[in-house]
Amino acid sequence: MIRLVRAEFDKTFSTKLWIWLLLGGIALMGTFMAFTIGFDGAEGNPSPPLSTPEGKRNLFATASAANTFALLLGIIAVTGEFRHQTVTPTFLATPHRGRVVTAKLAAYAVLGIAFGLVTIVAATAIALPWLAAIDIDLSMTSSGIPGTLAGVLAAVALYALLGVGVGALVRNQIAAVVGALVYLFVVEAFMRGLPVIRDYYQYLPGGASEALTATTDPVVEFLEPWQGGALLAIYALAFGVLGSLLSVRRDVT
Amino acid sequence: MDTEVTETGRIVVSGLTKKFGAVKAVDDLSFTVEPGSVTGFLGPNGAGKTTTLRCVLGLVTPSGGTATIDGRPYAELETPTRTVGALLEASSFHPARSARDHLRVYCRVAGLPRERADEVLELTGLTSAARRKAGQYSLGMRQRLGLAAALLGDPHVLVLDEPANGLDPEGIKWMRQLLRHLADQGRTILVSSHVLSEVEQTVDNVVIVNNGTLIRQGPLSELAEHHGHATLVRSPDADRLATALDGKADVRRPHADAVRVTGMDTAAVGHIAFTEGIELHELSTETSDLEQIFFTLTGETAPETAGQATPAGEHHDVTRAGGQS
Repeated sequence: MIRLVRAEFDKTFSTKLWIWLLLGGIALMGTFMAFTIGFDGAEGNPSPPLSTPEGKRNLFATASAANTFALLLGIIAVTGEFRHQTVTPTFLATPHRGRVVTAKLAAYAVLGIAFGLVTIVAATAIALPWLAAIDIDLSMTSSGIPGTLAGVLAAVALYALLGVGVGALVRNQIAAVVGALVYLFVVEAFMRGLPVIRDYYQYLPGGASEALTATTDPVVEFLEPWQGGALLAIYALAFGVLGSLLSVRRDVT
Repeated sequence: MDTEVTETGRIVVSGLTKKFGAVKAVDDLSFTVEPGSVTGFLGPNGAGKTTTLRCVLGLVTPSGGTATIDGRPYAELETPTRTVGALLEASSFHPARSARDHLRVYCRVAGLPRERADEVLELTGLTSAARRKAGQYSLGMRQRLGLAAALLGDPHVLVLDEPANGLDPEGIKWMRQLLRHLADQGRTILVSSHVLSEVEQTVDNVVIVNNGTLIRQGPLSELAEHHGHATLVRSPDADRLATALDGKADVRRPHADAVRVTGMDTAAVGHIAFTEGIELHELSTETSDLEQIFFTLTGETAPETAGQATPAGEHHDVTRAGGQS
């Protein structure tokens, strides 16, 4: 199994996709962070100010922008095998297909954590000087920031696993990528924004991730961090199991 | 253990059936491939060759029957990469990944040293292109890379689906020599093709399929003996000659003034013409036109094969029986 996991790393790092997705996550995090700091305390901004622990946690929770890109990385890791027909040599080398999926899950959990770590480092590199420049005290070990950072790592890793599961289930790369993006940026955005259905957002992967990173929102309810983590893990596992049972077993023609 | 030793290198397909919806791609197909020889798996496009090979390799789950290598289904092989090498699609690699990196992935999975990737690249003449992205490869280079991947684990069984596709004449010659060489080392080689002439010089045995059923299995030489001799006769009185031969041999009429006779030697045809007093302008023997045999065996107009294999008849019977039960 170690060999299979290392082979997955070989696959990932022998093309350049991971670099672009990593940079994409950092860019999105930077954008979120710039808005958070730039509009801090602005009139009509209901978000908790950066001077409060809640505000500081929210600031570092922007590192979970890497979620989307880890999800795409996981989706493409599986659907790419079908798209480029490398699934044939992959299954020839490992006829037990469940082991291939398991190896991918293990590899992408590690890669997700790595994505999360790099994004957190980048977030810290932006936040520290910027907050210092606007005279806001920041200690990385207080205000619950360590908990938020741990939550970001878990969330990004679980999104990578979710991607592997979705990819295994859908197999078609374009459908999986477009579907995931539409879900994240349309479905979840509406669910989070519309007052009537907003209460259910906490049970979606996005809401679970925000719970995990101890986000505070003036109007949206979240679960406890551990509950969010457990829920997200269930989503990832469910897609992985469904994909393995329904889709990966199908004939490779 | 004994059975495993004796089964080494043998591919056994037994009663294999694969349905895709209502379509039977493979229908109760059985054949055996022995080590130390090159076996041509032949049939027209859509005959079920690729589906059969994919069943043998565990990529497609059969609807019925079994396929084993070394006495086991593919999924139960302990070291598949070291046991079986396969070439299926013309391109099964990531276009942005270099050929060498592609092969190294599978070295890793199979626990082979990374240097093995360079060895098979050398063997297939791709060393100079090893670091190039595989997406930039020509069709011929892709086939070579596919073959390099098949040879990675130094397997004793090779399964190659249409390996000559996209190769130039020089490449085909190279492929032939390589397959011959590998078979002479005692390996089992199963190579599919829809054109007999492509593999005619390479194969020892043939397995001919059409509509998913077996038409014929045996040594290539036997195939030529049974079906190879034809006598071409040209005569202004061709109609009368055809009548005289009717019932004694298989008679075809390629032209109004010609008769093509199989199942009777040329001297006997000449004798009948002589005794009937028929004027002849040509009397010649056509031998081992394998392509013609192949078409005869697999083509729609193949009355002489009806008694041997009855693909159409069997198929109908099965369908009817299924409908009644």
